[in-house]
Amino acid sequence: MNDPTVHIPVIVICTSLIGAFLAPVLGKYRPALVGLMARLIAPVNALLLVILLRYVDAGETFHYYMGGWAPPWGIALSVDYLAIYVALIIHLVSAVILLYAKDDLFGEVRGDLHRWYYTLFLLLVAAMTALAFSHDFFNIFVFTEIATIAACALIAIKPKKECIEASFKYLILSTVGSGFILLALALIYMVTGHFNLTLVAQNMGAAAEAYPLNIMVSLALLIVGFGVKSALFPLHVWLPDAHSSAPSPSSAVLSGLVVKIYAVVLIRIILTVFGGEVLAAAPIADMILIIASVAIIAGSLFALAQTDIKLLLAFSTVAQVGYIYMGISLLSETGTMGGLVHIFNHALMKTLLFLAAGAIIHQTGLRKISDLDGIAKRMPITMAVFSVGALSMVGIPGFNGFISKMYLATGAFDAGKPVFILVILMSSLLNGLYYLPIVVRAFLGTNAEEGKFAKDELPLSMTFPLVILGLACIYFGLLPGSLLELVRKAAHYLIAV
Amino acid sequence: MDDLVLQTITRILMPFIQVYGIFVIVNGHLSPGGGFAGGTILGASVILYALTFNVGAAEDLYPDDLAEAVESSSVLIFVLVGLFAILMGANFLTNIGIFPSPETGTLFTGGFVTPLTLAIGVKVASTVITLFTHLFGEKKP
Repeated sequence: MNDPTVHIPVIVICTSLIGAFLAPVLGKYRPALVGLMARLIAPVNALLLVILLRYVDAGETFHYYMGGWAPPWGIALSVDYLAIYVALIIHLVSAVILLYAKDDLFGEVRGDLHRWYYTLFLLLVAAMTALAFSHDFFNIFVFTEIATIAACALIAIKPKKECIEASFKYLILSTVGSGFILLALALIYMVTGHFNLTLVAQNMGAAAEAYPLNIMVSLALLIVGFGVKSALFPLHVWLPDAHSSAPSPSSAVLSGLVVKIYAVVLIRIILTVFGGEVLAAAPIADMILIIASVAIIAGSLFALAQTDIKLLLAFSTVAQVGYIYMGISLLSETGTMGGLVHIFNHALMKTLLFLAAGAIIHQTGLRKISDLDGIAKRMPITMAVFSVGALSMVGIPGFNGFISKMYLATGAFDAGKPVFILVILMSSLLNGLYYLPIVVRAFLGTNAEEGKFAKDELPLSMTFPLVILGLACIYFGLLPGSLLELVRKAAHYLIAV
Repeated sequence: MDDLVLQTITRILMPFIQVYGIFVIVNGHLSPGGGFAGGTILGASVILYALTFNVGAAEDLYPDDLAEAVESSSVLIFVLVGLFAILMGANFLTNIGIFPSPETGTLFTGGFVTPLTLAIGVKVASTVITLFTHLFGEKKP
């Protein structure tokens, strides 16, 4: 263990934490430096994670023991492909969002709160990274709480009535979810006597035989608890308000990253801890599959009815979370790959769309879709990038959304459940129905007030992240090879254990 | 509230409460207690002060600017102590073999445990006070 590379997971979490707690003090004396620090931390961490990935590629995945104490005494981090993949997404996407936040924040958050915004953002990033690596039930609970509180505060920091209301609703519902998770952990601890995921998994067989009710109830509580947090369909009621009223960078990070990390944690627990026997005893996978299908269709239908652009994007997230759950609960290799690759693709697309919508609101103050006629004449780059995101969402070949849908469809076929291909097709159609009119309206619509519009472009700090995300959507749509290689290894980790 | 008896007794009690809070913090690894318990006791002394005098007086005693600095730096101390072990070639938050731990029963017998509980105690005390003054005074953030 003398190779310094093994410490990278901890260092990545710690640098975000250090940044989070330096921000309020630094921001008081050198406000300009805080944003710079936050914008440096995320890409540096992403770079470190790429180095870690190389290291893990050479050898086996390993467990990192805090303080050198091996379980059952110590806390373990699981350094595997799934964790690195998710952590890499978190840091890459938040690096882009933080770039964008530089100018956007001035319109949405009071000046003296900017340093606290960076604190909350970095705290959220640290908590999500820790969730990705955690190999210990209690740590998962603690970091779930940190992420939840930070996410609520990221919404409430905008001094508007809707934001306070939405954030309060989110806080109440996700605290109920946390309560469910805690109860589930207590039940698991009661019958297995461990918190470490590996040790719980080893004792799961005997425990499930002796106390089947405990295990089943804890499984149900975990699904509901993490389901609330990841906005699985009937539990999504907090999401639309929260994600649409928040400041645009917060919307992007909440929709692009936060809901997915809970989905990943839940799926990791179900597949690696509860394992085949419990899954065989109760049709959990099929239940999630059906709920996810309903989520996909219902989320899209709700989105179809929206007139506010950010609300539409928020409802679309409900549908897209359904894709992730669907892919993984198909329990076939290609299906799991589809679900996992959609985590990355959706993070790119939805961040792009929220940031583009934020750019429109920042420049024009327009939120209603019917007001966006001819907006492309005024903001050509933003709308071009928005169109890339929209086409990606629909799943047009050549954009990254197509890759995940293709894998999901193949996965459904491999799992012998071809009916779910129909769900995917129908949802693509619905996506087209609500995304394409915006694009058509923006490019071909004529606005009565067109003469008044001067062509004002965005500041570079907002255009640049948008263009990067747009190019990434196209790049990973055309050349997804390296991404799929990583996702295949992550899927193997989930399915093989 | 403006009650001479209450205020005088508070003045007399406060140092004792605080000494007890500090005792619980630094003896966390030897006797029941620790950073969180001691920190709340320490914070409670200032809350008592705020209740018997007024919130403004407590804010003068423990201003927000100081609270921000204290809360941030105590977390940073914790993280940096953890990272120090990495610098020495061991895992994060390794204690044994990196930090000196003399004979059992003395103050620093736990290696880095005493500094860490100190950081936790200060952080908790500061947070308890800030939460109280903000909620009680209904201050704008």
